[in-house]
Amino acid sequence: MGRTLIELTDLWKIYQMGEVEFAALKGVNLEIDKGEFVAVIGPSGSGKSTMMNLIGCLDLPSRGVIRLDTEDISKLGESDLAQIRGKKIGFIFQQFNLIPTLSVLENVMLPLEFQEVATSVAQQRGLYLLEMVGLNDRVHHLPSQLSGGERQRVAIARSLAVDPDIILADEPTGNLDSKTGKYILDFLNGLHTNEGKTIIIVTHDLNLVKYAEKVVHIKDGEIEKVEYT
Amino acid sequence: MKLIKAFKHALNMVRHSKLRSWLTIIGIVIGVASVVSIMSIGAGLEQDITSRLSGMGADLSTITPGFSKASGFSHRMPSGGGSAGGATATDEEVVLDRTDVQVLKSIPEILLINTEIKGSAEVYYLGKRGAVTLTGVDQKVWAQITTLEIRDGRILGPADQNVIVIGGRLADDYFEKPLGINKMITIEGGSFRVVGILDDRSTNIYMPIQMAYQVLDDKETDIYDSIIIKIKDEGEVDYVTEKVEQKLMMTRHVTEKDKDFTISSSKQMEEMRSEMVSSLTTFLTAIAAVALLVGAVGIANTMFTSVLEKTKEIGIMKALGARNKDILAIFLLNAFLIGLIGGIIGVILGYLLSGILPALMGGGGITGRVASAGSLVTIESVLLSLSVAVGIGTLSGAVPAYQASKLKPVDALRYE
Ligand SMILES: Nc1ncnc2c1ncn2[C@@H]1O[C@H](COP(=O)(O)OP(=O)(O)OP(=O)(O)O)[C@@H](O)[C@H]1O
Ligand SMILES: [Mg+2]
Repeated sequence: MGRTLIELTDLWKIYQMGEVEFAALKGVNLEIDKGEFVAVIGPSGSGKSTMMNLIGCLDLPSRGVIRLDTEDISKLGESDLAQIRGKKIGFIFQQFNLIPTLSVLENVMLPLEFQEVATSVAQQRGLYLLEMVGLNDRVHHLPSQLSGGERQRVAIARSLAVDPDIILADEPTGNLDSKTGKYILDFLNGLHTNEGKTIIIVTHDLNLVKYAEKVVHIKDGEIEKVEYT
Repeated sequence: MKLIKAFKHALNMVRHSKLRSWLTIIGIVIGVASVVSIMSIGAGLEQDITSRLSGMGADLSTITPGFSKASGFSHRMPSGGGSAGGATATDEEVVLDRTDVQVLKSIPEILLINTEIKGSAEVYYLGKRGAVTLTGVDQKVWAQITTLEIRDGRILGPADQNVIVIGGRLADDYFEKPLGINKMITIEGGSFRVVGILDDRSTNIYMPIQMAYQVLDDKETDIYDSIIIKIKDEGEVDYVTEKVEQKLMMTRHVTEKDKDFTISSSKQMEEMRSEMVSSLTTFLTAIAAVALLVGAVGIANTMFTSVLEKTKEIGIMKALGARNKDILAIFLLNAFLIGLIGGIIGVILGYLLSGILPALMGGGGITGRVASAGSLVTIESVLLSLSVAVGIGTLSGAVPAYQASKLKPVDALRYE
């Protein structure tokens, strides 16, 4: 399909736990094209989150190379990684991870503040995104005043704030009922088809896997197979 | 992240952990308030002393027989001497007499010379007896040289003989009935008329020195307990005092080592007192500074706690693109704010305390002095404590803030 956006080459992640070493990823090779919708599935503890964190520049690999937009990020410093995260990647977490002391709108504006976007612009963008996820009547609420599904919609709006190329969602529906989960996935699918965003989700729910064009099966830190649907 | 945004988030942190923030702020408030109030009260005392210095009496010097370390300045007694009376251990008793007065008269810079003797005398009035301090003064010059103030009646004049001036308490409360002007009182068997009452709370009696020699029978005529000189030009006090000292040493055939008299100007005495006050103030300020230090430790503690508590949020922010310096800025500003708020409240409280404390401290001694001196809030003390509070706040927040900024995003995100 399109050009390669993310390229993992012989990627290892080894955790040192005292005397014992534990390899969470054992030489993973994977290419993800721009605009792809990828689902990552596998048993618990197989290394899905570990891989997502590496793609998301939240962690550095023990060995191997990660290329984002052909740039090797596996040896970058923390502040360069922060730049990449802030500009290119939107995160959606299982636990929503909103800042509890900030209002819904402030949460959505936060990534733009790190990019030093003017407040008025950030506010407009925030309101626009919250309207997109159907929360325009909740902008001044605190996260604690929202339901789980609503919180995740705020998190989606936040992940889109800087208009990133890549959305990483690690079990985004894990804490939601199946109906809300479906809504979230439909929304992400819309972003994929309408805006051409590259979306990578980790999920256990096989009903949601069908949204993906490409399914990556991970087991024991290795890629078992890659399916195209 | 722009500084103003970091500031907003820092303020948000203060607002959302109200109780803890306030407890920390209280620590700083106490420190700053005590520094400000102690420094202000100290400054008030010093100013009071300075104003007294420039008022009456700065042109006076007092000469007393004997030499003691306590009343001397930098000189030392070689052997044991130094009792309050100042008599030295020589065979002959050390005294001040007419010869000394003659020497003083030869010094042109001296305007007036007052000779005094002092002793305890038994008084009797309307059936009540008592022993009070009696001072014989040279009534020909006393009016021009004394710093005492008259409340009623008049001061002693050159022609006076069997008359006295008495202290305020002796007049009001000492006897069964008030002892007023023109009343007669018996002193050591002799009868004296009160002509003046002093504006003080003493029980002292002042009378012409010739009469005092008769009343105080252990005193020998023309031997003085002290000689007080008034110097023509106030600016020359130090110089004249030195000159008098040299001359007297010469005529009394003594050297620095075996000096047998003491000369002290009221200026020197006030300076000494002022020095004492300032070292007392320094000492108290040091104690207050310890309170401020404890406040600083409180800030550090609070910051460590909130870094721990906010670990996950730090992870989230980093995932959203926060750089280390953004996190550092937010936490440093948080500590700065706590220091600033604590500092401002502390200064205000210290300002109020320094106004209230002196008013509460009536009575005598140093507290009385504080009460009458009031306080002086100086710009220096305000700025100093404010910048110390802010500085200490930021400094003690530095280590926790640095720790927060260095957290690895994955680890922080995983933190529960
Ligand atoms: N910081 C760490 N230190 C040590 N071991 C770790 C660390 N993080 C992850 N692991 C281990 O690495 C393995 C992979 O973890 P990972 O979180 O990637 O699993 P996962 O596939 O996301 O599982 P789940 O579906 O339960 O979320 C696990 O066995 C885990 O215990
Ligand atoms: Mg996981």
